[in-house]
Parts: sequence; C-alpha cells; structure tokens
Amino acid sequence: MKKTAEIVVIGGGVIGTSIAYFLSKRGKKVVLVEREDLASGSSGACDIDIILQSKNPGIHLKLAMASAELYKSLSQELDFDIEYENTGGMILIEDEEQLKVMKEFVKKQKAIGLQVDLLDFKEASKLQKGLAPHLVGATYSPQDAHVNPMSLCIGFAQAAAKLGAEISLDTAIVDIKTAKGRVKSVVTNRGEIETETVVNAAGVFAPEICAMVGMSVPIKPRRGQIIVTEPVPKLVMGDVLCAKYIVAKYNPKLLEGSDDPETRLGVGLSLSQTRNGNILIGGCREFVGYNWSTTYEALTTILKHATRLVPALKEIHAIRSFAGLRPYTPDGLPLLGPVEGIEGFIMAAGHEGDGIALSPITGKIISDIILEGKTFIDIAPLSPGRFGNTEKIKAVS
Amino acid sequence: MKEEYICRCEEITREEIEKAIADGATTLSGIKKRTRAGMGLCQGRTCRRLITQMLSKVKDPAEITPPTSRPPVRAIKIGEIVEGEDD
Ligand SMILES: Cc1cc2nc3c(=O)[nH]c(=O)nc-3n(C[C@H](O)[C@H](O)[C@H](O)COP(=O)(O)OP(=O)(O)OC[C@H]3O[C@@H](n4cnc5c(N)ncnc54)[C@H](O)[C@@H]3O)c2cc1C
Ligand code: FES
Repeated sequence: MKKTAEIVVIGGGVIGTSIAYFLSKRGKKVVLVEREDLASGSSGACDIDIILQSKNPGIHLKLAMASAELYKSLSQELDFDIEYENTGGMILIEDEEQLKVMKEFVKKQKAIGLQVDLLDFKEASKLQKGLAPHLVGATYSPQDAHVNPMSLCIGFAQAAAKLGAEISLDTAIVDIKTAKGRVKSVVTNRGEIETETVVNAAGVFAPEICAMVGMSVPIKPRRGQIIVTEPVPKLVMGDVLCAKYIVAKYNPKLLEGSDDPETRLGVGLSLSQTRNGNILIGGCREFVGYNWSTTYEALTTILKHATRLVPALKEIHAIRSFAGLRPYTPDGLPLLGPVEGIEGFIMAAGHEGDGIALSPITGKIISDIILEGKTFIDIAPLSPGRFGNTEKIKAVS
Repeated sequence: MKEEYICRCEEITREEIEKAIADGATTLSGIKKRTRAGMGLCQGRTCRRLITQMLSKVKDPAEITPPTSRPPVRAIKIGEIVEGEDD
C-alpha cells in the first residue's frame, strides 16, 4: 500500500527538523525523511554559535535577530535541553584597516537595531582573557548566544514526533514524481509516499533533490575545519570571532590566488567553548567539493592564526579535529520558499555558515508560507528563482 | 540499582545508551550525538567496544561503521603544534 503524507520534509539537519517541528505544532501531518541519521550532515559538524554580529546588515541580520528571539524560549517549548545560553560575543580587530571596515559594519548593524559596540583593547581584555597585546580592539554584542546543534536537531525531531510527525531515519529520497507541474509523490528506497508538498531541506545535497524535478541551484559545499580541545575551565567568553572571518565570509574573491596559506584557506577565527568545557577552534572556508576530510595544513594554519590572537590557547591540548560542509550560495542568503513552475516544491536550503542561527526562523517562515502563503518579512530576496534557475522546469512542464 | 557506566570518560550509563538506540541511533556516531559517549578524553578507546556490542542487537555488526578518527591521534599541546611548524 502506498503511504501518504500531507507534507514531506527532506533532511534531518537543523533546518529540516525545525520545519518539521513548526509544521507539526500547527497541526500539519509531516513525514521527515533522512537518509542517514539526525544531524549526520553539516548540522553535526559545525560550531555552536548563534551569532548576530557576523551577519550582513540587511535581511540577513533581520532574519538572525528574529531567530534569536525564538531561541530564548525554545528549550522550554521543546521540553528538551538544547544547551542554549545567551553568552554575548565579540569580533577581534587586529589593525587600523580592519577597524575601518568594522566601524562601518557596526554602524549599519546598529541602524537595524542590533546592540553592538566598539571596544578598545583594555575593554576587550576585560571580557576575554589572554588576548594578544597587538590587537587594537573588538566589537561586542550582548545578544550573541550558543546552542548545541546536535541536541537542537534531536530536540526538534522529538518534539515534532510528539505532535504526530513521523521521523523516518535511514530512508533516502531517490526520486520525486510530478504531473502537470505539480508534485505528486516522493520515491524512497523504502517505498513511495504520495504527497502534494515537499520541502527540500537537504543542505549541501539540496542540488541532488532539485535535479529530481529538473531544477538547478547554485548551492555549493564550502568546507570548514575545526579543532577540539580537552575540556578546560571557562576560558572563552562566548562567541569570539576575528574581523578576518568577516572578510573570508563575504569576500571569497579577495582570497583567491593568494600564496599565504591563511588567506588561501579562508582562515578566520571562531572560538567557542561547549558546556562540557571543550574549546572549538575554527575555522576555514574552502571549496573542495563534497570532501569531509581534515587536512594537516588547515589544522596548523588555523591554530597559528588562533594563537596569534589568543596566545593563552597554546597551553591547552588539542584532542580531535573535524570538517563540515557549509551550504554556500553566491549571495550568502538561503533559498527559501516555493519554486515557481513546480507547485508543491518548496526550498529551504543554502544557509552557509548560519544555518544554526537561522534554524528556528526558517522553520517559522516555511510553516507560514505553507499555511498562509505569506510571512512576516518580504522574502523576495530569498526566492529560489533569483539565480534564474527555473527556466528549465518551465521547459519540461 | 547501581548505575552501570559504559563510557567512563563522559559518565554515560547503559540506560542512556539504550535510550539513544530506542530513539533511532544505529551507529556509533548516532550514539555519540545523542549521549556524548565516545567524546571523552580517551576518544572512545574504552567504551567503543561495549557500545558496538549494544548496537549489534539492532544492527548487523558488519554494518557498524567505526567513527571517524581525526587527527591529532593523541592529545597534543597546541603550543607544540604551532611551534613545531616553524622549525
Ligand atoms: C565548520 C562549520 C562551522 C559552522 N558553524 C556554524 C555556527 O557556528 N553557527 C551557525 O549558525 N552555523 C554554522 N555552520 C553552518 C551550519 O552548520 C549549516 O548552515 C547547517 O547545519 C545547515 O543545516 P541543514 O539542515 O540545511 O543541512 P544538513 O545538516 O546537512 O542536513 C541535510 C540532511 O539531508 C540529508 N539528505 C541529503 N540527501 C538526502 C536524500 N536524498 N534523502 C534523505 N535525506 C537526505 C542529509 O543526510 C543531511 O542529514 C557551520 C558549518 C560548518 C561546516
Ligand atoms: S570511555 Fe568513552 S570516551 Fe573514554
């Protein structure tokens, strides 16, 4: 017998599980299909930062701020400990040139309503111990926070299941059937599910799912590598980034063709400490396809950069490293919403290095779109068709 | 009843691992994500075998993939890594 579902969500990362939860909360019957396990993709190989300060002032920051609001009551709402903590965060500034860029960044962020300030070296040192004396200062926002992304996925999924969602692990989507420009069913390796609505939350694998309906999207995997230390007493104040992180994130062109390994690997500091005391030291941004391995070059380059800014890290032991893939898009914004030309096919992918921060708001937006056809913010800039990728669909349908 | 610790580094009990399996974990990494078992200082050297045994009740042991082991293979002082490079 064929199964049926009101909505099928593809992907058990932070985005898919959030969507499954928000839809279930609003009474929709959801089947979430994940080919491996919860948090087995990017959401299980990343940092823990809900950082607002790193977001481009504009719709990007607005979304992150709205998401941060939802986070405040999320543990309680899910009845699950997601290790959320409003820690505050800072971005370290190494020289006058970076200071100029950050001043401008902060001004624009403030205009949008973010609480953020520029600190001199002395003020910054009070918040974060062990800073290198050459730093000129830092920006600081009390609104930055932390969460455990794996607990987040599990918390969303369990809460959704309690509300009636079916969480189908170890199940792969292998095809999507359409007729007359409308979704009819998804085919999995364990049978077919009839449905009129499919949400593509497959992260870096979203292009594979899009290909099933004849659509192409410019989502590309962008590798990051992170070093994990032994658990130590509280050393990192919250989320600590460096201004170079901002450059690596938004200006990949500046990094191309450089001889300096730090620049070529897109290294930018991100430091945070888990509740268990392990420090996560990141990271880099590289285009190397679907390659999840770590490299010795990145490990040493990241650590050199990190200890240049926070020499106190030298005394701590590294115990492990890992790599994850960020779902990159050319404009750094996710693809959210219905796809024109293929009714019932909804995109929710391409969150680059911000999927954790944006996960609750993505769940809310997609559930708004499915239930009401609109949401609280104009999501035209996030439209899946903005890269001109729906022409092929029109031709086939 | 006395608690039975399967992962001593992270103090994870048999009961917690059983719960993770009931929640759908079928791999060592799935257990790790749900409980932290295997993430301790010994990086699973002590608990991995016990957890594999428990998993083999729900999954064919031949299919249980070892967790990814990533450098450094032993705890090493960060100072040694960064300074070693300059030599
Ligand atoms: C090193 C690094 C550090 C990061 N740090 C942060 C941070 O501090 N803060 C932050 O906000 N963001 C961070 N990110 C970004 C964040 O991790 C991602 O944006 C986010 O995890 C994307 O979630 P997702 O649910 O879209 O994708 P994923 O977590 O990859 O989930 C997609 C899921 O779809 C499944 N899937 C794929 N194809 C199929 C199929 N055919 N059938 C069924 N299932 C399928 C996959 O198995 C996978 O589990 C970081 C990323 C990296 C790599
Ligand atoms: S006993 Fe489990 S990590 Fe050491």
